[in-house]
Amino acid sequence: MSEMSVMKALNLAMFEEMVADEKVICIGEDLGKQGGCWGTFTGLQEKFGENRVLEFPILEAGYTLFSVGAALGGYRPIVEFMFADFVTLGFEGIVDIAAKIRFNSGGVDSCPVTFVLPQGGGGKSGAHHSQSVEAWFANVPGLKIVAPTTPADIRAYYRAAIRDDDPTLFIYQRATMGLTGEVPDVLDEVPSLAKAGKIVKTGADLTVVAYHRALLNAMAAAAQVEEETGKTIEIIDPRVLIPFDKEIVFDSVKKTGRLMVAHEAPERGGFGAQILSWVVENCMKELKAAPVRVAGVNSIIPFGDLEKYLYPSVEDMKAGILKALK
Amino acid sequence: MNFSNEELLEMYSDIVKSRVLGEKIVEYIFSGKIAGAIHPCLGQEAVSAGILTAFKKSDIITYGTETHRAQTVMAHRVGWKPFIAELLGRTGGCNDGISGEYHIHDLKNGQLPAAGALGGTWAEIAGFAWALKNDGKKRQIGFAPYGDGAISQGATYEAMNIAALFKLPILFFIENNGIAMSTPVENQSPLENLADRAAAFNMKGVTVDGDDPVAVAEAVLNGMELAANNEPNVVEVKTMRWEGHYVGDPQKYRDLSYKEDLDSICPVVRFEKRLIELGILDDEIIKAVRESQTKEIVDGFDEGLSQTIATKEQVLDYNRVYSNNAGGEL
Ligand SMILES: Cc1ncc(C[n+]2csc(CCOP(=O)(O)OP(=O)(O)O)c2C)c(N)n1
Ligand SMILES: [Mg+2]
Repeated sequence: MSEMSVMKALNLAMFEEMVADEKVICIGEDLGKQGGCWGTFTGLQEKFGENRVLEFPILEAGYTLFSVGAALGGYRPIVEFMFADFVTLGFEGIVDIAAKIRFNSGGVDSCPVTFVLPQGGGGKSGAHHSQSVEAWFANVPGLKIVAPTTPADIRAYYRAAIRDDDPTLFIYQRATMGLTGEVPDVLDEVPSLAKAGKIVKTGADLTVVAYHRALLNAMAAAAQVEEETGKTIEIIDPRVLIPFDKEIVFDSVKKTGRLMVAHEAPERGGFGAQILSWVVENCMKELKAAPVRVAGVNSIIPFGDLEKYLYPSVEDMKAGILKALK
Repeated sequence: MNFSNEELLEMYSDIVKSRVLGEKIVEYIFSGKIAGAIHPCLGQEAVSAGILTAFKKSDIITYGTETHRAQTVMAHRVGWKPFIAELLGRTGGCNDGISGEYHIHDLKNGQLPAAGALGGTWAEIAGFAWALKNDGKKRQIGFAPYGDGAISQGATYEAMNIAALFKLPILFFIENNGIAMSTPVENQSPLENLADRAAAFNMKGVTVDGDDPVAVAEAVLNGMELAANNEPNVVEVKTMRWEGHYVGDPQKYRDLSYKEDLDSICPVVRFEKRLIELGILDDEIIKAVRESQTKEIVDGFDEGLSQTIATKEQVLDYNRVYSNNAGGEL
């Protein structure tokens, strides 16, 4: 085990997969001497060369589509968008092309591209550099969405996303790049994307499902509520949104009878609505109260410190937990 | 470039085959046997014949994202019967009649995934061409076709930039038929020759008469050689669309007086005259070619129509959407 930041875990995962499979290539802007906008590609071009770490001009639409062609040519591209927001430019390549490759080939060809999306608030950079994009893609069959939070999970599930043969969005919270945690020196087995849910903490009175910074805030709020009320709260990190580990959530809700879902993306049409629907459809008998969502405000993200009005804080999480417990 | 008499006769067969296919597509659409809006290549047959000639004459292997009006090239790649069955949505199609002619995809036969959404596939081909080059595959190139309309999409510029920057083996091919749906090319671009766009990326670009299959074949062969030497380039061919955008399009948006004397602008008639002058074609051969090509295409349609359509289970098969059982449900 060693203590490592999210940033280092991202770098390690790519390094390991590039060693394991020479067909893994990286595509994005400033990936050369700069090591990527966030430093997550540090040392990779030096080690693996310019033909495996391809530095591109600013043409997200072009290199998203390029990655699909390279995948059809036998490669396994990792495509970085500096900010998840810029994936709007890659929408055609991801939604119309990558997601349909397998279907239109009659199940013959796969499209093993990993699209890397650093997302969400914390950077105080406003409307075009702070959005959360998972729900934009959750409605597109053919894609997978991986969204881990801790350094150890990021290392393991990034590797799993790269290995997966389908087009996969790997989404992480940019603001938690410096978050540190214990990461095993060797990953014994790259996990499957199926059944990826993890019970972060067990409890009996409420189930909380959350990811990214919302997970961290919900954990802090839950600790306070437990202290104050004596109730215990079960917290689940889904780690992968598609395919979603429904069973782990259903089993928990059947035990606790209560649910809160939290994320930073806007509430309306957010992935939390999907989780809630599944739970209501499958656990109605066991539910003791209406499930609760805590999410971003349905508005535009302002610049600077003002962004705090948009994203769910620890206090918002606490209010949500107390409401769900009523 | 010289073409032997045999090659010219085969070129003639191909131009006729293209014509017959276009006519049959119109016929089968009107009789309700083909679903969806299909865009026939009537008037543009010399383009396909020229491309096919170049493909057959050269030792260079091409991978292309043909779609739309390039039915003859798609059929050449995936096979005529699998192509026609796909067009008809039947299970003998190269994609089981499920993907459809718009999204034809058959990598083993050089057909890269075509896209119903126009604009992106040039950049997709750039990625594939990069893989060919990176793997050291000599004399294998990407063939990137689009119409005069599709090339206004921004991704085509990005694709040319990528290709020029990484020196990729690609031929960008513009089939300029003077119109995109209802919009004439003058309303889409200030350029007289669309191949001039190549200059912005320091690439070679040529424009030739797209109603002359020999000129098309020569330009494509030259462009393929350049591409095989990692010199991406642009070939534009100028032709004319006879039909509406789709079959049954009343075309209220343009002057239809050209229809009064189609023979005077017909690329098939023009090529016939030339070959007759050269003494390698006569009425008897013309008749025989027409009959044999019609028979092959009609047989293809008959065979396709005798096949079933895919079942709901086939269409909704999880393995058709995802590569592994992570999740196990759609
Ligand atoms: C992104 C996108 N926009 C619009 C369309 C609808 N559309 C299909 S074909 C076409 C015209 C294309 O013109 P051109 O590229 O010149 O090809 P042509 O039909 O003349 O062969 C249009 C607008 C589309 N398929 N994709
Ligand atoms: Mg056109």
